[in-house]
Amino acid sequence: MRKTKYLGILVLAFILVGGIGCATASSDKMSSMKTEMTADDATAAIAAADAARKKAGSVSGEWRDTGKIIGEAEEAAKAGDFAKAVKLANKAKVQGERGYEQMVSQEKLRLPSYFK
Amino acid sequence: MKKIVLMTTALLMVVGFSNAVMASPEEDRQIFLNFYKERFPNVPQDDYINGVYAIDPVGRENWEAIEEFPPYETAIDAGKSMWDTAFANGKTYSDCFPDGPAIMSKYPHWNKEKGSVITLPLALNACREANGEKPLKYNKGAIANIVSYIAYESRDQVTNVVIPKDDPRALEAYEMGKKFYFTKRGQLNFSCANCHLQNVGMVLRTEILGPAVGQTTHWPVYRSKWGEMGTLHRRFKGCNEQVRAKAFKPHGEEYRNLEYFLTYQSNNLPLNGPGARK
Ligand code: HEC
Repeated sequence: MRKTKYLGILVLAFILVGGIGCATASSDKMSSMKTEMTADDATAAIAAADAARKKAGSVSGEWRDTGKIIGEAEEAAKAGDFAKAVKLANKAKVQGERGYEQMVSQEKLRLPSYFK
Repeated sequence: MKKIVLMTTALLMVVGFSNAVMASPEEDRQIFLNFYKERFPNVPQDDYINGVYAIDPVGRENWEAIEEFPPYETAIDAGKSMWDTAFANGKTYSDCFPDGPAIMSKYPHWNKEKGSVITLPLALNACREANGEKPLKYNKGAIANIVSYIAYESRDQVTNVVIPKDDPRALEAYEMGKKFYFTKRGQLNFSCANCHLQNVGMVLRTEILGPAVGQTTHWPVYRSKWGEMGTLHRRFKGCNEQVRAKAFKPHGEEYRNLEYFLTYQSNNLPLNGPGARK
């Protein structure tokens, strides 16, 4: 009992330290990131998002809205709002990656315990 | 060394065992039936053809009122005239389906030559194309009309999905449908089974989640929410999209196999299409 308690505290401490570490790392990255997005940034982000979407599709894991979000990113880029375009494209890319992982993690059928 | 041998033997035994317990389609069907029997001990087996209304007495009253003036009647009539009207080349649907129109219980079935599951809408479109007609769109409209007529003429046949033993690909297709059924999809990470098995009877927004057994007996359906008739694969699409997964092509491989698996679970239940739903 006592032991698990200490273990819990340790784990918590690790998460906290780790979390702070991450936060500083990412804020460093943030400040070094350029604030002005260009047309090239948007094009690259959209291409990456579309690749992620297709990869998810290759394992039947595409999500409903990913294509739509990429479309919106393209619209934004066309209108010259490259920051918005990149933001949307990145969101779509994450969806593609999640959809892919979701399917790969279920590659082998594991029947739920209630199905027996 | 001895330990390794022991461990390997144990592993082999486990693998062998799990192979041996891989459920057959018939065992799957029994699991489904027993599952619902435990949840809803008072629902007679044949009542599952009424979908969610088998377990929702309030919804059932509304539904029975609707069924007094069936909203799918015009679809049956329109489908009948499609069946009776000759194609441009003078042939009719009966030339493709000499036993028709009461042929619902023959679908879906395994086709050895094609190496795939054939659904009724696929067979109807194949007939059209063989006679120089354009294929129909799958989700609604004319396809729902002609299938309504066929369903109506087939009432009181029973669901009878066969998985032939002489072609192992048939069982593979069934297993793929089963895998689809239990795979979590979409941004909300739900499988079909999460809703229609695990959480059956629970309320989702304004709807009660209905059992999987009986879900295939009554298509096409006039759905109040659609305000029109729709096909089974249109429903598959809707159920995929509500968990924010991208839907699959109607009568493409995924949904064909899903239909094969799902319809099997309704084996021996009477066909009662077309239907009406909320
Ligand atoms: C988020 C929950 C949810 C998921 C996941 C879900 N469904 Fe549904 N489904 C519903 C609801 C709600 C209804 C309407 C009430 C009912 O009939 O169960 C419905 C209705 C249906 C119907 C029509 C039943 C009838 O009597 O006409 C079918 C068929 C169906 N679902 C199949 C599926 C399949 C196949 C999947 C997996 C691809 C699936 N559903 C996934 C919630 C879900």
